[in-house]
Amino acid sequence: MEEGKSVTLDAKAPNTIEARDVTVAFGEILALDHFTVDVPRGMIGLLGPNGSGKSTFIKTVLGLVKPTGGSVTVNGLDSSVQFMEIRDRVGYMPEHDCLIETMTGIELVSYMGRISGMTKNDSITRGHEVIDFVGLGEHRYRPISTYSTGMKQRVKLAQAIVHDPEIIFLDEPMNGLDPTGRDDMLDLIDRIARSEKSILLSSHILPDIERLCKDVIIISSGRAIVQGDLDDLMSGDRERVRMTIRGPPEKLRSFIDQLSRVCAVLTVAEGFRESIVTVAKVENSSEIFRLAKTEGVQVRSLEPDRISLEDVFLKAVKGVA
Amino acid sequence: MMGLSPIEYHPWNGKRTEHGRRFVVIAESILRRSIGSRWFLAVLIIGTFLTFALPIIFTAISPHEGLVAEDMASQLNNGVFFIFLLILAALVCSDLIAEDKRSNSLVLYMSRALDSEGYLSGKFLGAAATLSIFAFVPPLILAVTTIVTQSGSDYLSSVEVLGSTLVAGIWMTLLFIPLGLLISSLTDKKTYAAVATFMIVFVLGIVAGLFAENDVNWMLLGPQLVMTLSIDAIYGVDLPDGMNAWLLLLACIAYTVIPMAVTYILLKRRE
Ligand SMILES: Nc1ncnc2c1ncn2[C@@H]1O[C@H](COP(=O)(O)OP(=O)(O)OP(=O)(O)O)[C@@H](O)[C@H]1O
Ligand SMILES: [Mg+2]
Repeated sequence: MEEGKSVTLDAKAPNTIEARDVTVAFGEILALDHFTVDVPRGMIGLLGPNGSGKSTFIKTVLGLVKPTGGSVTVNGLDSSVQFMEIRDRVGYMPEHDCLIETMTGIELVSYMGRISGMTKNDSITRGHEVIDFVGLGEHRYRPISTYSTGMKQRVKLAQAIVHDPEIIFLDEPMNGLDPTGRDDMLDLIDRIARSEKSILLSSHILPDIERLCKDVIIISSGRAIVQGDLDDLMSGDRERVRMTIRGPPEKLRSFIDQLSRVCAVLTVAEGFRESIVTVAKVENSSEIFRLAKTEGVQVRSLEPDRISLEDVFLKAVKGVA
Repeated sequence: MMGLSPIEYHPWNGKRTEHGRRFVVIAESILRRSIGSRWFLAVLIIGTFLTFALPIIFTAISPHEGLVAEDMASQLNNGVFFIFLLILAALVCSDLIAEDKRSNSLVLYMSRALDSEGYLSGKFLGAAATLSIFAFVPPLILAVTTIVTQSGSDYLSSVEVLGSTLVAGIWMTLLFIPLGLLISSLTDKKTYAAVATFMIVFVLGIVAGLFAENDVNWMLLGPQLVMTLSIDAIYGVDLPDGMNAWLLLLACIAYTVIPMAVTYILLKRRE
């Protein structure tokens, strides 16, 4: 079949979504301002403060919001023209309440499956399958109006995956969940990602993104300001080294003194008979060990300094503001 | 609390239906939910009993020559039928769009491969299928019963009247849906929409009655008279003296096409 072919072809493309100079305005507000980004395959985090344009970007990709300029392609399909084809291949979990409250969980999920093109029988079987997957249990037979926030989030996830989309947009899926609920949700997302789905996870909660995502896109004021592999972003300056040293206080001080002659000492955190030092511009780490030996201190650990995602985030966001 | 069972995510490999046919799913869901509603069933049963049950039985047992246009027209033009049709239309249509506005669920439809045309067609078809149980099926049964039990031999003219009954049934089924959908898309409260649909038709009827003393064409402001006169026209019964047939046609369009167009435009703007 023609359609089947094009899907496998597209699946090899390196990027799921390519946005070029996308501009979306709501009256005076520029929600997206010449937004340009390449979203690779896999589990991608979309990170940004409130009002930065995360939800608007997702809606633009789905064709729910019409950009005033620029272009978006999804798996090579133009989102302003071929949005029907695109929508069959994507799943969307909106950020706010959107469930039809008079329906039961299973009714809603299989109904949405049918609207996504499943036959009646398929939608019922698959509906139960995804409701089992999200762990809604017997609550599936109750009207959604009686659900807790946690149950509603699960149904929202279930309706987004019922038709087995290739790309899944999750807009703040952890909203309103307690710690256990968050854990469960992260776990579910992780399991979906493992079956070769591409997921765009929007959040302003850094640890969630850190836990799941390979790549992140940081948005601020409607622009994509940082994009890349999470490990690369967090490894920061490759020449930065963090070490733990141990020894009598006066020896530690004199060691740090000596150290500052061979490289740049950035931070020193002093503890009892132990200090944590980060240095930059280390030419050769054997120099550090030689110094330590002559000064009589013990180097307990020495590793490249990782900056936290929070640092990356704050730096990026502040840089724009 | 709900624990997670260690189920892995499984892909689905089924075949998808065509885009153009998915709106039928919406219609089917509306029909199923209406029939499952106690209110709807109660009004449907009482209404059918008061308007068609007795005439059907009576026709079956009493002698008659054939199916007569004037008889069918006056059967459909009675006030009780109109009131029940209006109540059912208000009940069925009131929550069709209001619910999606209230719960923000329009986004669930629109993020799938369904456009606003498909969405609205589904809603319209669902309402039509539901209302046809009252406005299309019983008149048809009455007409068929009359023909089956007729003593005369002029089946040709009877069948002609049967044809008119099919057209009239479809017309009555559809007449109030656009207005109901429009009002449902203006509010997010189901009861407001239902009461408003009912009241607007009622008030327009009273206003029409007041002005009709000066000029009979003012009658066309009232939905009930638009319905009865258009049914007369369908059955070939003469219109009242001084009534302009073109104005009647215009009124029919005004009650259907205009509210439907406004509903569509409002939906497009929200999308
Ligand atoms: N329908 C709308 N009408 C007017 N302004 C809007 C609309 N949708 C979004 N905006 C504005 O566009 C900007 C971006 O909003 P958006 O919802 O995309 O942010 P976000 O990153 O998702 O924020 P949050 O983390 O709070 O969900 C905001 O300034 C918001 O006020
Ligand atoms: Mg948002």
